[in-house]
Amino acid sequence: MKRQKRQVKPKKKRLPSSPKQRKITFWSYLCSAPSLILIGLVVVFPILYTGYISLTNMNVYHWFDFDIIGLDNYKRALFLVDSGFLSALLTTILWTIVNMAIQLVAAFVLASLLNIQSLKLRKVYKTLLMFPWAMPGYVSILLWKTGIFNSQFGLLNQWMERLGLQTVRWLSNDVSAFICCTVVNLWLALPFMIMIMDGALQSIDKSYYESAILDGAGWFRRTVSITLPTIRPIIGPAVIITVFTTFKQFDVVYLLTQQAGAKTGSHFHTLITYTYENAFITNNYGYSSAISILIFVLLLLFSWKFRLEEKS
Amino acid sequence: MKRVRKLAAWILTLAVMIPFVFTSVGCSQGADADTDSNQVVIWHDKEDAVAEALLAELNRLVPDVEFVLEKKTSLTDSLKLSGNDPSASPDLFIFAHDKIGVFAEMDILAPVTEFVSEETLSSYLDMTVDAVTYKGEIYELPIYFETLLFMYNRRYMQDEEVPSTTEELYSYMQANTGRGRYGFVEQHSTAYYSAAWIHGFGGSLISEAGEPLLDSDAVKNALSYHLKFVELMPGETEYSTVNTLFIEGQADSTIGGPWMVPSAREAGIDLGIAPMPVVDETGLSLSPYSGVQGVYVLKHAAESKKETIQQVMTALCDPSVGIALAQASGCAPANTACYDDPDIAEDEMVTAMRDTAQIATPMPNIPEMDVMWTVTGNLLSDVNLSGEDVETAADEAQKQALDLIAAMQ
Repeated sequence: MKRQKRQVKPKKKRLPSSPKQRKITFWSYLCSAPSLILIGLVVVFPILYTGYISLTNMNVYHWFDFDIIGLDNYKRALFLVDSGFLSALLTTILWTIVNMAIQLVAAFVLASLLNIQSLKLRKVYKTLLMFPWAMPGYVSILLWKTGIFNSQFGLLNQWMERLGLQTVRWLSNDVSAFICCTVVNLWLALPFMIMIMDGALQSIDKSYYESAILDGAGWFRRTVSITLPTIRPIIGPAVIITVFTTFKQFDVVYLLTQQAGAKTGSHFHTLITYTYENAFITNNYGYSSAISILIFVLLLLFSWKFRLEEKS
Repeated sequence: MKRVRKLAAWILTLAVMIPFVFTSVGCSQGADADTDSNQVVIWHDKEDAVAEALLAELNRLVPDVEFVLEKKTSLTDSLKLSGNDPSASPDLFIFAHDKIGVFAEMDILAPVTEFVSEETLSSYLDMTVDAVTYKGEIYELPIYFETLLFMYNRRYMQDEEVPSTTEELYSYMQANTGRGRYGFVEQHSTAYYSAAWIHGFGGSLISEAGEPLLDSDAVKNALSYHLKFVELMPGETEYSTVNTLFIEGQADSTIGGPWMVPSAREAGIDLGIAPMPVVDETGLSLSPYSGVQGVYVLKHAAESKKETIQQVMTALCDPSVGIALAQASGCAPANTACYDDPDIAEDEMVTAMRDTAQIATPMPNIPEMDVMWTVTGNLLSDVNLSGEDVETAADEAQKQALDLIAAMQ
């Protein structure tokens, strides 16, 4: 195989910036400073502090008198990477793919329906679709658990009984628990994606569609050639945010299936619920912080990969 | 341009450094904070009726001290973060005794014997004093205790039908379960509830030395025996389902705490309370865990407000406090002097609780218990809800418990 010659890009010469440009840059940074400091306070500091704690022996027996013990916690944390951890990692990847795929398709369809010109009561539909977002997640999840999936009082089993079918314990096995958690997660996450998609769709210049219609393009061609390429850069950041939110999902899975005192019998674990049960309950903050940092690095690697794909 | 880049670097550095500066300033302020020695801040997680009764009693008994009662939903987590910081933590807090080991190891507690003599504590029920003792020190002043009780709905289960043994209970369940009704319900896959069955087989979740005992024969026998009861109960194990079934009259009997009583009475249930059934195989009663609620003193308060805390702790030993709180909570007082009060002595619930205290097992107060709740919960759900083999599941749970306990260090 011939090796292709790499094209070497000519190095750009930096032009000397004018005093006016320097002033603008100076003001930009000065105006951003409060936000940067706030981000430092709520985002950067906890990460750095967790990194620091992960190097110490902070646990119940050394709560306030902890010492730096180097990378010992990381060595122990790597022992957590057993079959259970790997299984949870694979399940989490599957969980993220399934949720994102359904979320993107469902949000696109619903946002497209909301953008039909002749649609009446558009605002009412939009409000209704945003409703899950307005409710606290904790309340919504427990309402789904008790109101819909509960084998004694849940709506699903009431329907099953009316239809003369055997009642089902929806959250007791891994597959049905996965499906139930996906449904609840979609219910909670769709409003955000619909809102972003709706905004993106509204930002498309209508003249593109008019020209395409004049050229004889059908709905599918218009969607593939105009809608999707145009909204892609707009929804891109939202998709990346949602991918990570879904990947590090805890509350939906934990509250539906793993909550202390209300376990359902399912062994469906995401990476975070697994590490919670196998590390965080030990009250060993050094060890738990090391695991958090490892998960953080894992997410950074995913993020880096996504960024590369986004660029390409 | 160089200057601008330098400025950008400075701003970014500041963004990272300022939080550290804030934190260290916060810490040093905390250490220097001027404490009002006449004010006592008490954290709790109790219902309003209990807090109000306590405040009224304290105001009456120690009028010179100003009390601030703060309800904290995640009290133990807050204390883990700020237990040694006088500016961010309370002077006293009220909680069950099972966290004593954790907080004592964190070194944020002062022994209550610094303020209350052992002679005073000798009038308390032995079970309550044992429960609050950790490594030979008493870290909590017991006020009242709670434990699980066998409750039944007289409309469906007559007094003469109340089972005295577990086999009688099983026969009753077989005869009265079906078509949406249950003879007996409990939170069968929750460690706190299932412990009663394990104790009934002479077993335990963990030894006093902190060694898990999930693979012991007693635990395995208890889980195997309990399975046939689980089959006649609903699949859900959480409080809301069990409570609703009993309150709605769909379940004839249950094992529940005193916290169920107000809603049962409100629902018009003719509530009966009976002794725990005896396990036929062992001759031992089902022995539920008991939780002793009481007052803890934080170390910093014991040093900086010694006299005020002394006054408050002495007042808390007054039987009137136990009586008022027992009346507000429906639980049994820890101080035996409280039972001289006719209202307390004649209260059916309190009497039942005191009787159950004879057989109840105080929840272990060692730090290792923190991981045992989760591991035992998983074991129960594996056996009762996923149908896993008792032997295998118990051995795996034992291994997980050992790993987690090792990871605590």
